[in-house]
Amino acid sequence: MSQMTIVQAINDALRTEMRRDPTVLVMGEDVGVNGGVFRVTENLIKEFGSDRSMDTPLAESGIVGTAIGMALYGLKPVAEIQFDGFLPPAFDHIVSHAARIRWRTRGRYHVPLVIRAPYSGGIRSPEHHAESPEAYYVHTPGLKVVIPSNPYDAKGLLIAAIRDPDPVIYLEPKRLYRAFRADVPEEDYVVPIGTARIAREGSDVTLIAWGAMMPVALSTAEKMASQNTSVEVIDLRTLVPLDSETVLESVKKTGRVVILHEAPKTCGFGSELAAVVNDKAFEHLKAPVVRVTGPDTTIPLARLEDYYLPDVGRCVKAIQRVLSY
Amino acid sequence: MPQMTLIQAINDALKTEMRRDPTVIVMGEDVGVNGGVFRATESLYKEFGQDRSIDTPLAESGIVGCAIGMAINGLKPVAEIQFDGFLPPAFDQIVSHAARLCWRSRGRFHVPLVIRVPYGGGIRALEHHSEAPEAYYVHTPGLKVVIPSTPYDAKGLLIAAIRDPDPVIFFEPKRLYRAFRQEVPEGDYTVPLGKANVIREGTDVTVLSWGTMVRVCLQAIEQLESVSVELLDLRTLAPLDIEMIVNSVTKTGRVVIVQEAPRTCSVSSELTALINERTLLQLQAPVARVTGYDTHMPYLSREQYYLPDARRVKKGIEKVLSF
Repeated sequence: MSQMTIVQAINDALRTEMRRDPTVLVMGEDVGVNGGVFRVTENLIKEFGSDRSMDTPLAESGIVGTAIGMALYGLKPVAEIQFDGFLPPAFDHIVSHAARIRWRTRGRYHVPLVIRAPYSGGIRSPEHHAESPEAYYVHTPGLKVVIPSNPYDAKGLLIAAIRDPDPVIYLEPKRLYRAFRADVPEEDYVVPIGTARIAREGSDVTLIAWGAMMPVALSTAEKMASQNTSVEVIDLRTLVPLDSETVLESVKKTGRVVILHEAPKTCGFGSELAAVVNDKAFEHLKAPVVRVTGPDTTIPLARLEDYYLPDVGRCVKAIQRVLSY
Repeated sequence: MPQMTLIQAINDALKTEMRRDPTVIVMGEDVGVNGGVFRATESLYKEFGQDRSIDTPLAESGIVGCAIGMAINGLKPVAEIQFDGFLPPAFDQIVSHAARLCWRSRGRFHVPLVIRVPYGGGIRALEHHSEAPEAYYVHTPGLKVVIPSTPYDAKGLLIAAIRDPDPVIFFEPKRLYRAFRQEVPEGDYTVPLGKANVIREGTDVTVLSWGTMVRVCLQAIEQLESVSVELLDLRTLAPLDIEMIVNSVTKTGRVVIVQEAPRTCSVSSELTALINERTLLQLQAPVARVTGYDTHMPYLSREQYYLPDARRVKKGIEKVLSF
C-alpha cells in the first residue's frame, strides 16, 4: 500500500491495466511525450511506447472518433480530453455514435471506450477549463458516467471503467488532483461502477455529492456535528447507473435531503436526484429536497469563481433550511 | 383569418419578419432553392433572393458558426438545422460560443440568433431524425428554448424569438407540421417567450407538457370524462413559467409531466424538482412522469412503443389520482 494523490492513482490505474492487457492504450493531446497536461499519463510512453501512448492533434472530435473505431476493432482506448470545456467539439461522436453503436447493432458491437476528462472549477483557470458538464452525458442513453472523489476510488473505478464493455465518461475532479494523499493498493482492484459510498453516517439529513464537491460536503457535515446535527454524506461515485438503493435507504432514514453540485442548477443532475426521491420516497420526506448548485450562468473567470462554486457556508444554510422546515 | 398548418404558420412568420426587418435572413441546408426539406422556407428565396435565403453546405457546425458571426455583426439569422439528430455536430458552437458571448463580453455583445430545428418522433423516420434533445439546451446557461404546439403559437413565438436579443433554440414538432389547421392572423404579432398557456382548465390534476405531446395529452383527457384535468402547454422551457405551474399545482395538488425525451436528467426532472421545492405541502401524490425510455429512439417499427401515447398518459393520471 502506498500513499498517492488522485493524479498518481489514475496514473497507477492506467499502468496497471496497460501491463495486464495489451489492448489497453492511452491517446490524447500531449498524453505521450509530455505525459499529459496534469501528468496523468506520465512515463507511460517510456514503458509502453508511442503505439500505446499516442499523442494526437488538437482535435477532440478526431480523438473520440478514432477511439470509437479502435474500440470496435478490439482495442480498449482510454482517450483523454484535456479539459471539460473541450468535450463539446467531441459531443457528436460521443452521443451520436459511441453511445449508440451497441443499440444500433442490437448488441452485436460494443464500444469499450473510456473518455477521461478533468472537470470542475476552483483552479483559477481561463474559460472552458472549469466546467461541470456531467448532466449532458447523464441524459444521453448508452453512456456510463463516473466521477471519483479520492485516490482509492479513482484507481478502482478507472480500472472498472476500462474493463466495462460500454463507453464510460470518466470525469476527474481536477481541483482535487493533488489536494491530498490516501492509501492506494499497488495491485489491481476494482470499485464496481454503479455503487455509491456512505462517506459519513448520520441520521438527521442526507447530503448527496460527488467528485470535487466531496470535501465541501464532508466539511459541512463536520461543522454541523458541532451544532449537534448528524449529517449522512453520500458520495455517488457513479451517476449512471445511479445507485438509487443507497440514496433511498438514506432518505427513508433521515427524511431530509440536500443535493450538492457545481454544475448549473436547471436540468443538472440534482434535478434527477430530486425527482427520484420524489418518486420513490415521497411519503418519507419531512421537507422539500434542497439543491445547492452553481447558478444558471457559465462559470465565471478566475476572480469570481469563489462566488459561483458552492461552499460550506451555502451548504450549512441549506441544511438549516431543511431542518427548520 | 386564414387557416394554416403549423408549417405554413412558420413560413408566414419568417416572411412577415423578413418583410419588416431587412436584417433577418434564413440559412441552412436546402432552405433556399428547394424551400426546405419540410417546406418551412418555401418561396422565401423568390421574394428575398439568395442573399437572404442562403443555401449552405451540409455542415451544421459551419452553419451555426457563420450565423453567430452574422448575429454579432448586426444581422438576425434564422439558421435551420434540418433534423434534431444533426444538432450535435453544432453543439460546440451553440454551447461554447452562441450561449456565452453576452456573458463573455459582459453584455457588450448579443447574439440575436434563432436556430430552428424539427424535433420529435412519430413520422417513421431514420436514426438521427426522431429525437427530442431539449434538455441539453435547457441545461445550458445563456440559451432560450421554445417549443410551440399549435400554428398560432408557432408564428407568434417565432416572431418573438427573432426579435429576442439572445440565442433561441426553436424546436418544431415535426409530427404536427401538417396535423391540423388553425386560424392564424395575417399581420405580425408575438407570443411572449417565457409564458405557458392553459389549454384546458381543471381542478383534479395538472398535466404539464409541450410540443407534440400536448396533442397526445388532449386525446387522453378527452377519454377521461370524469376527471377534471388542467392541461398546461409550457411553450417555453427556458425561461420556465414557474409561476403558472406553481399556481396550477397549488390548486390541484397532483401533477403528471408528459415528454418524449428520455427520462433521466430531462426537463421532467427539473419540473419535478421545482414542484417539490415550491409546493411540497400542497402535493397529494408524488409527481408522475410519463416519458420516453432511457434508450435511444428506436427505428420506425418500434417507435409507437417508445413514444408516450394516450394510454400511458391516462395511466399516469390514474396513478396520481389513486395515490
